[in-house]
Amino acid sequence: MAELFGLLFTSLIVNNVVLTQFLGMCPFMGVSKKRSSALGMGIAVIFVIVVAAFVTYALYYLVLVPLHLEFMDLITFILVIASLVQLTEMFIKKTSPALYKSLGVYLPLITTNCVVLNVCLVNIQNGYDIGHMIMYSIGTPLGFALVLFIFSTIREKLEISDVPEFFKGNAIALICAAIMSMAFSAFAGVI
Amino acid sequence: MRIIAGVLFISALIGIYIWAYIKNHKTPVPEGCENIKADCDGCKLVSCQLHPDHE
Repeated sequence: MAELFGLLFTSLIVNNVVLTQFLGMCPFMGVSKKRSSALGMGIAVIFVIVVAAFVTYALYYLVLVPLHLEFMDLITFILVIASLVQLTEMFIKKTSPALYKSLGVYLPLITTNCVVLNVCLVNIQNGYDIGHMIMYSIGTPLGFALVLFIFSTIREKLEISDVPEFFKGNAIALICAAIMSMAFSAFAGVI
Repeated sequence: MRIIAGVLFISALIGIYIWAYIKNHKTPVPEGCENIKADCDGCKLVSCQLHPDHE
């Protein structure tokens, strides 16, 4: 049990997918100008990654392994993730217009988000059992959403701060991201 | 036999994706959501459909 929570904490904070592994940088830089968009994107990513991880894990061990088609994991996962995003968007359109208004527009962004594919592939490559898979698949998107939200609050402050002209925009944002990465690396000694 | 199974499996997945894509685009957007856009700042990838300059 302690090991499972250790994995959750590690994937959430210590080996944060954005600040340590440098994945998901596109939405991290592109959708972090406002807290509301960051929150919407974060929730959408959490949902898609958790569902995609479960589906791809099941497909790998129930279909690919018995048929000795393990080498097709990459193409399979990509197709599954793309289909899941389409189905999720369709489901949200039909069932909850309010939810679609807040986060439906971010779903196409998630299709090409490398964090989703990373979680699916790591679950297989590290040989995780179901318990470890669940913890990793929940911790990683939570870490992504957490960092995205924190970064959005920083960027909102930067917008009204007195930043030198040549540092405005992405330049100062990247410097802040680097400092955040260094701050998060300090968690490595916790576990 | 393994190759055939693999080809059939991938074909099935591609078929599912195409079906989901078509169904999604046929599903009407809820009222009030016709003109919403992702609040994306836009990087240098102008070819991305979400880039503000992509039109």
